[in-house]
Amino acid sequence: MYFQGPKPCLSHTKYNVTRCHLPLKASTSYFHTATVFKSTPSLITVTEEPDTLFQKVSILVKCHDRAVLDSYELFATMAANELGITISKVYEPPKAIDRLTLLKSIHIFKKHRVQYEMRTHYRCIELSHLTGCTAQAYLEYVQRNLPEGVAMEVTKVQSTALLTYSK
Amino acid sequence: MAASLRNAGITGLLSALARTGSFCSSTGYRSLHVTAVCCKNRAARIRVGKGDNPLVYEQAIHPHHIGHRKGWLSQNTSNLRGEDGAAQRTVEDMFIRKFMFGTFHGCLANEIVIKRRGNLLVVCALVLQRFSPLRFYFLIGYSESLLSHFYKCPVKLEIQTLQQKAVYKYL
Repeated sequence: MYFQGPKPCLSHTKYNVTRCHLPLKASTSYFHTATVFKSTPSLITVTEEPDTLFQKVSILVKCHDRAVLDSYELFATMAANELGITISKVYEPPKAIDRLTLLKSIHIFKKHRVQYEMRTHYRCIELSHLTGCTAQAYLEYVQRNLPEGVAMEVTKVQSTALLTYSK
Repeated sequence: MAASLRNAGITGLLSALARTGSFCSSTGYRSLHVTAVCCKNRAARIRVGKGDNPLVYEQAIHPHHIGHRKGWLSQNTSNLRGEDGAAQRTVEDMFIRKFMFGTFHGCLANEIVIKRRGNLLVVCALVLQRFSPLRFYFLIGYSESLLSHFYKCPVKLEIQTLQQKAVYKYL
């Protein structure tokens, strides 16, 4: 369904405007939404208080699949470069393996066991010297695009002014 | 049950049972360990047959190839180190698989892939074109609304249709 707006025209105007009103779709269930994330229009507010400064923002992502982490690291570093955020280092902490040993059979056969393992791969992206607004915007963007099966931990180191007690 | 026999000279019995057991020879005695047949792995494996059983890629590749030749069927963060909720996610996944199997009865071409992005639950399924598209749209809407009411989170179904099952090999 589409509507035709008024065409750009000269002074003598005789144009046809056809409008189709879309039927208002009453959502019967609250949970069945057409769009995934309802984006409320973000209002840019200018305040007098100074912005928080972060000396370091460290993002640790973990996943079972190393290839997913590779592509996510590429995405996050590209986003940071586009926004002009300094990336101090990107490194890969060693993977962690959790192993379980269970009995293979449901009854007896104690000598026959099955071993399972769960591998967690890590990737750490450290950003340095950014403002609170930048950090908030970057983290929100990067978190909205987290792939499934990937968990993220964010550590922020804030820098504050030195407290002076002498008056 | 493990049973060990110590024979000094009966070689006929030993040669017949040598396949299933292991024996060590020292000081002239031969001992034979025979264990019950619980050695082979049978998990998620379809045994080799006559050659008329069609297998999908998911069924043909054995579970020790997960991560190398196979992907994961249910993708969530509960099994990572330091994350919790593994049992709840597993139970939810089992219910969703049974539910989808029953709703799209006889139409599923492959296993269902369940992904979780934040609060959103995405159920991806490959479906055979056995019914009319209208019926499929109804079933998709019905499953989405029922599952989202049940789990109190937005549920999206991503269905792809095929003419017939994508056979990888015949066993």
